[in-house]
Amino acid sequence: MATKEFKQRLHRALNNSSLRKALESFGDAYVISREAVYSGRDFEALRQKIAAIKSEAAGRYEELADQFSRAVEARGGRVFRASDAAAAREYILKVAQEHGVTDLVKSKSFASEEIHLNEYLQEHGVNPHETDLAEWILQLMPGERPSHMVMPAIHLLKEEVAEVFSRYLGQPVEADISKLVRIARRELRKKFLTAGMGISGANIAVAETCTIVICTNEGNARLTTTVPSVHLAIVGLEKLVPRLKDIVPILEALPRSGTGQHITSYVTLISGPVPAWRGEGESLKELHVVLLDNGRSRMAADPVFKEALQCIRCASCTNVCPVFQLVSGQAYGEVYSGGIGCILTAFFSSLEEAADIQSLCLSCRRCAEVCPGNINIPELVLKLRHRVVDKKGLSPGYRIALHGVVSKPKLMHSMLRAAARLQRPVTGGTSFIRHLPLFFSPLTKGRSLPAIASVPFRNLSQRLEQEYKVAKPHLKAALYAGCVIDFVYPQIGEAIYKVLGRYGVQVTFPQGQACCGAPASYAGDDETAVKLAKINIAALEEANADVIVTACPTCAVALKNDFVELLSEEPEWSERARALAKRVKDFTELVNELTSGEDRGEYKGKEQTVKVTYHDSCHFKRSMGLDQVARKLLRSQPGVELVEMKDCDRCCGFAGSYNVKYPQISAPILKRKLNSIIESGAQVVSMDCPGCIVQIRGGLDQLNSPIKVKHTAEILAAELE
Amino acid sequence: MQSLLKEFSAQAETAGAQVILASSPEEIAPILIEHLRPLGSLIALVDTPLVKAADLEASLRAAGFKIEEDGAEFARQADIGIVEFDYGIAETGTMAADATDLKCRLAAMLPLSCVALLPLASIRATLTQVIDNYLERGSWPNYLTLVTGPSRTADIERSLTIGVHGPERLLIIVVGDGGGKDGH
Ligand code: SF4
Ligand code: SF4
Repeated sequence: MATKEFKQRLHRALNNSSLRKALESFGDAYVISREAVYSGRDFEALRQKIAAIKSEAAGRYEELADQFSRAVEARGGRVFRASDAAAAREYILKVAQEHGVTDLVKSKSFASEEIHLNEYLQEHGVNPHETDLAEWILQLMPGERPSHMVMPAIHLLKEEVAEVFSRYLGQPVEADISKLVRIARRELRKKFLTAGMGISGANIAVAETCTIVICTNEGNARLTTTVPSVHLAIVGLEKLVPRLKDIVPILEALPRSGTGQHITSYVTLISGPVPAWRGEGESLKELHVVLLDNGRSRMAADPVFKEALQCIRCASCTNVCPVFQLVSGQAYGEVYSGGIGCILTAFFSSLEEAADIQSLCLSCRRCAEVCPGNINIPELVLKLRHRVVDKKGLSPGYRIALHGVVSKPKLMHSMLRAAARLQRPVTGGTSFIRHLPLFFSPLTKGRSLPAIASVPFRNLSQRLEQEYKVAKPHLKAALYAGCVIDFVYPQIGEAIYKVLGRYGVQVTFPQGQACCGAPASYAGDDETAVKLAKINIAALEEANADVIVTACPTCAVALKNDFVELLSEEPEWSERARALAKRVKDFTELVNELTSGEDRGEYKGKEQTVKVTYHDSCHFKRSMGLDQVARKLLRSQPGVELVEMKDCDRCCGFAGSYNVKYPQISAPILKRKLNSIIESGAQVVSMDCPGCIVQIRGGLDQLNSPIKVKHTAEILAAELE
Repeated sequence: MQSLLKEFSAQAETAGAQVILASSPEEIAPILIEHLRPLGSLIALVDTPLVKAADLEASLRAAGFKIEEDGAEFARQADIGIVEFDYGIAETGTMAADATDLKCRLAAMLPLSCVALLPLASIRATLTQVIDNYLERGSWPNYLTLVTGPSRTADIERSLTIGVHGPERLLIIVVGDGGGKDGH
């Protein structure tokens, strides 16, 4: 159950047009500049290196922290190990008070925000001044939330900043960016020169040389650590790396992934106290390092979530996230945003605080593609969702739908048949229907509801088996259709029979098959998912086929990966799941194998070519890696001219029941996709996920667009006629 | 060396710095006098080997600049800071310096313009090599700084603006050893 506060935050963010515009134009520019700075570099190798360094460190925090502390002390600094936020705050205040500090300067530090340092210091009579321009602007706007981890004020217009500065200075200020920056320089310079203490964060902390590495473009960390006579660095344990050399790959990735720069203007490496001007002359300043745990060791000890400690806080996962682009950091936790933010919030704050924000993830996997820490963010978000459900339970609607219907295939199928007759969801007076697999979704804004097929595929299959009978099949394939093909688009199933029959494959349809359980898994309901996995394994084993062919990537991932994992605690079942998984192939994968090397012969017939554009379904591309295979098949089709659309691999916003839960987010994501399709000039848009077909067909239908939406199998089948 | 210099200059200029080649230390003063005049008259000067070799202080004073060398107010009012860097990194147009010395840090950051003197022979290809060089020198410095271009921000409407907290102008003088072969 989403909290009221979360809903308000979401609503506010979604209705902030300058925020959306800023994030959209940044998102577009970011993709291009990121690509440019990585060109000629082996990003895969780089991120594997970073992941290895950070993961090794995460297994040795205690030892590294000891080594780091000893080194700092040997060089004349002091280290305080803070187990939680309160301990860190108290220590920092004590240091400030010991030096009679009334004003201090701060350069950007997530950790300081995480421990709510500013509020605490203020309550105790110490004024912290943020010196990163964006952070300072936000500090002058009480109640305003940061909208991005790296660019927290990205949503503000220069006019708003001018207003804030006018209020601060008590005199009118012109809305001219370079003048605004000059004012910030002048005002913050006063703070730098008079502050009694400087507080910084750290991007990396090297255990062997006790080096704190800080990256900034503005140079505020340089000043923070240069002028005041006390420097205190707040360092989360996850910043530790063992060796000096380990900083090289991290410094290579952080600015490139963060802002699309080769390097930030300033990289400062502090390894011990340095001179400052103190009273009458120069003498060594005081250096304090607060090593903050606050949930990090708990995370490091967690076999699943340890991976999240590989994060270098570049925010590229949010830069490419279609949901983040709409809702911004304002919808997420106060400090950490996006998919990774949910996970960090769950450990550094509480699971409760992460409960709402984790549900924003579409599982489109775009973030995992670009993460320089090589973190499987969507997978971790899903695991977090399971923990939330374990703790809080399923919401009642989900519970009835999943346990009461989806987990009972017979009941679900007969309800679907009834729904087909009436062409409206059969609800029996309750609202649980909203949580049933995909096609029960009510009419959402901007998308038509698909009609439920009058005859489901399972009733057509016997006829088709005869119609496309192969005399001497060299391969026997069992079709796993999945709910959408079975009950909404049986014609896709027919196309599969047609195409495979042509290549000498006999296809059968095991009648015992049921929903793959993905809707349950995505809702965090393992109980139902396990039940369905067993039903499907048994049904598909019975078919005795050489391959299990799928045409829905969500189902394929369930059959290939999820079943094995879900059943990992039951040895006999997990063995059966593994054996089944080995035989699962997507339709395009199978056709590609069947046709490779084969001369397709002369092209006869149709003179005119049809422009076809291809939509990359998230799981098809990013979980199965078949995006180029599908294109190859389409390109080799006579009569097909493949044209690419802009952002072909951006999510369409379907994501199972997501578009029901968050129609206000799903709709604009769909809109963007539809625009790309229309702008491509294609007559047909092809894709390999029936869920995407529901979403995109529904969207184009609302626009009365003549563009046809097809599964790749249908296009291949049409050509074979 | 030439190819390193070329790459270094190209990258540093992309990052917004201006790179000028002085074929020997003697050439530094005339170059600076010409370039610094429009930028102000008060210079915070950090005494370093190159500054000495070029006899910069005397030349700049003779040209009418006021030179600050010390004190509680050092670099606070100066228009220009002159510092020397230890290494250049060609790959990113970055300069590295052991900035443990307070004056080096102040002169590089407080004035609106910064002059960076960089021996030509100290340009390396990558950060890794520079780290190795520092490790070879012995004790790892307490304050090491890497600088690439002027201070910048894009915090307001993502519009790139230079000179937010540090210098808005970074003038890099790459100094050859006068052997003649390092010149243009
Ligand atoms: S999760 Fe990955 S992409 Fe996201 S901030 Fe961390 S390192 Fe960057
Ligand atoms: S999987 Fe997609 S929706 Fe989820 S966090 Fe990553 S980019 Fe965002």
